[in-house]
Amino acid sequence: MTWLVLILGSLALWVGGGLLVAAAVIIGPGRIRGLRNGVASRLSEARREFAALCAVLLASAVGRSSLQTVSELFGLRLTGLIYAVEGDFIEWLQQTYATPELTMYFSSVYVYGYAFLLSFPFLAYLALPRTKTLRRLLVAYALNYAIGLAIYTVVFAHGPRNLDVGTSLLFTYNPAFTALTSEVNEAANVFPSLHTSLSVTVAAFAVTTRDEYPLWTPVALWISTSVVIATMYLGIHWLTDVIGGIALALGAVYLSCRIVDEKEATDGEIDGDTAAVDA
Amino acid sequence: MNGHVSRREALAGIGLGVLSAGCLGRTRNIAGRNRPSQLTLQIDSAPADRDPNAIRIARHLAENLNAVGVDARINTLSRTDLWRKVLINQDFDVYVGQFLESDPFDPDAMYAFSHSRFVAEAGRQNPFGFTDVNGVDERLERQRRVEGGDRREAVAELQRSLCELQPFTVVAFPDPLTAVREGRFEGWTNRQPLSPGALLRLDRTETTDDGGAETAGNTTAEEETADEETADGDAVLRLVTTDDQITENWNPIAAEYRRDGTFTSLLYDQLALVDRGEAIPWLASGWERVDEETVVVDLRDARWHDGEPVTAGDVAFTYEFLRDTSMGSLDTEVPTPRFRGRSSVVRSATVVDDSGVELAVDDVNDAVAVRALQVPILPEHVWSERTDVATIAGFEFDVETTEAVVSNNEDPVGSGPIRFVEATAEESVVFDRNPDHFLARADSTRGEADPAAGVPERFRGKPAFERLRIEVSPSDIAAVAAVGDGLADATVSNLGPDAVPRIGRDADTRLVTGRSGGFYHVGYNARRAPLSNPRFRAAIASLIDKEALIDEAFDGYARPAASPLAASAEWVPTDLSWDDRETDPVYPFVGKAGSIDADEAKERFRDAGYRFDEGGRLLSRGE
Repeated sequence: MTWLVLILGSLALWVGGGLLVAAAVIIGPGRIRGLRNGVASRLSEARREFAALCAVLLASAVGRSSLQTVSELFGLRLTGLIYAVEGDFIEWLQQTYATPELTMYFSSVYVYGYAFLLSFPFLAYLALPRTKTLRRLLVAYALNYAIGLAIYTVVFAHGPRNLDVGTSLLFTYNPAFTALTSEVNEAANVFPSLHTSLSVTVAAFAVTTRDEYPLWTPVALWISTSVVIATMYLGIHWLTDVIGGIALALGAVYLSCRIVDEKEATDGEIDGDTAAVDA
Repeated sequence: MNGHVSRREALAGIGLGVLSAGCLGRTRNIAGRNRPSQLTLQIDSAPADRDPNAIRIARHLAENLNAVGVDARINTLSRTDLWRKVLINQDFDVYVGQFLESDPFDPDAMYAFSHSRFVAEAGRQNPFGFTDVNGVDERLERQRRVEGGDRREAVAELQRSLCELQPFTVVAFPDPLTAVREGRFEGWTNRQPLSPGALLRLDRTETTDDGGAETAGNTTAEEETADEETADGDAVLRLVTTDDQITENWNPIAAEYRRDGTFTSLLYDQLALVDRGEAIPWLASGWERVDEETVVVDLRDARWHDGEPVTAGDVAFTYEFLRDTSMGSLDTEVPTPRFRGRSSVVRSATVVDDSGVELAVDDVNDAVAVRALQVPILPEHVWSERTDVATIAGFEFDVETTEAVVSNNEDPVGSGPIRFVEATAEESVVFDRNPDHFLARADSTRGEADPAAGVPERFRGKPAFERLRIEVSPSDIAAVAAVGDGLADATVSNLGPDAVPRIGRDADTRLVTGRSGGFYHVGYNARRAPLSNPRFRAAIASLIDKEALIDEAFDGYARPAASPLAASAEWVPTDLSWDDRETDPVYPFVGKAGSIDADEAKERFRDAGYRFDEGGRLLSRGE
């Protein structure tokens, strides 16, 4: 428990600092000043998407343990199949590339980089005058979590470290991180990798908004690629989980674009004020 | 167990055959046969976070099975699910697990594990569905009756039969490793450091100057003081485990939730407790074998945790209840899924007076009779309410299950030296010292009415802790780290090879080890072909390189064995003892130093009557 407090504190500190720096450099003072006036109306425009994301997160927090029980009792047990398909890829990856420096790097990216990667787009897209991207991002996050939770319930699979394929480098080098990840993650929920899917989601958005934030695109691509590799390098996920995570991300991004666009077309009559701003 | 038969191919063949007139009968003769296909075996095991050793054995076996053309798949399940699958539902091919008795045990422990009278029961008793009526059963019965040299001979014969027929393959006896921190409690012994007796024997360290000892980590010290305040300034024994079952379920007879049942046996006193190999009068102040078929037990003055007195009626109830947890209210008996071997010794239990019970035992020797006294005594006023069929929302799910078997037994009412306080599922559980227990009272009232008469000095006035807190840790490495950081006094779950080297890093932490009876084994479902064939099981047994696994899976902290009784060397005949051997005396590993000789191994399967296709896949017609 003590570890958890410590690690949460340092996480808040590092991610908070990172956000400040990134806000100054990537978003720029002009847009931040604009944020002061626009933030209330933009947040209210995106309230339904916020509500959707909160609803999904809340459902996940409340329902996760009971869904986990359902998964244990009735889920498809795929650990053996995944291992049969991809074999010792993770072990090979670790044995070929692992060095203490890389382990340090990937552990930090897995925890700090990931938290930063997920939180910065909120700020960045909130700073844009039009809220379409923000709302799409929120919907995409919500979809990632919702679909991920559904698949977790259907699929019961343990990660490579639980099969002793490779070692858990995250756990071995940073037992403190263990405390955090074990609070957040259930060991039997590895397919798909939500770390991968959310990172790829952010990267996909970063690519589509490269005209607005040209600096953010390479940063996001770098961090998200690192997170994706970290999930495997650290022995937490199978390659199969990562592929599943990428597919989930692309699906979620595509759906979020469809949902937010379509909604605008139909919402025009009902929700006059929202449509007016966006038009 | 078989892979998919290609239906399309088969249908096409049948179609052609039917078209050619006159061949209909011949087609039926051919198409009516099930086609053999590659044998698929699923190996069930707990994941590495929960059991770092078992998964390594499972992978070793899977690898070697694949090498001989069996499609072996590893299936990881949480420990509770694993035991539910294997012990209760008996729906498995092969599993890797530990014998669920932590201390070296009397040979009679094999009675429940392998006697064919238990094949139809759900629970710890004979999960393999193994039957050997004239061999194993006969010897199990005999070792119960005879004594001395005759018993030794019967036990030796029993082991030879078990080793030959391989209902399960013994892999190794692990050293029960634990990381301990001696700053607060001392007396961690190198025998069975985590047995109920060992935890009760612990002493408080004299210098309880925590401020001075805890220089590292301010938050640590703060939490410690917080802990101690809750217990009125007295000591808290803090244990850390990777096994969260004790935070959810306190039912001493729930087979899928208990391993050795250390904490439930501290909650529920037994009539006798075995410590350091001697049977100590525990809830019973004494017992007497009045004749061949009767044991008379005298109870101590004791109370349940809810204040009710412990009576002879409770004891008589317990033995009846363990035989049939429905207490005769259902059409079929629902025997307990644990303690089946022990309770089967007692034919009936009769109340003599307030504190006297007469146990009718069949003509068994004294060692077996004493084993019968080692079951948890349950309060009748609590458990008699749980004899109905278990229901979900009033709906009967399985008529052969009673509420008692499936209950989580929240707020357990026992009579033991600790009592339940609170728990957070999957996180922690807290027990307090029971001040009314005879051990605790033994301190003050020595003399004419000694409440703990017959109990050795080392237990008097114990336990030394006021509170026992068990925290769940996400992995064995994190558990060792918690002890190293001063957050816990000892680990109580299995440590894997990656965790052990971390123990020495902190000066206050040391490794305590001992002897364990909980052997790792590969269990086979003998109800399923081809695992029903002892020759086939023998061929699988020769795929396991026990010597190599000692290094790979246990980092040397285990001893290879052929016999399930290897922890009690005095029972093992020389032809089965491992000693200085390099490989198994009965079914030696086919190969050298961990790497299998696949051709030779396949030859074993051929000798046993099995065949391979041109791709080298082991064929089976399945069920």
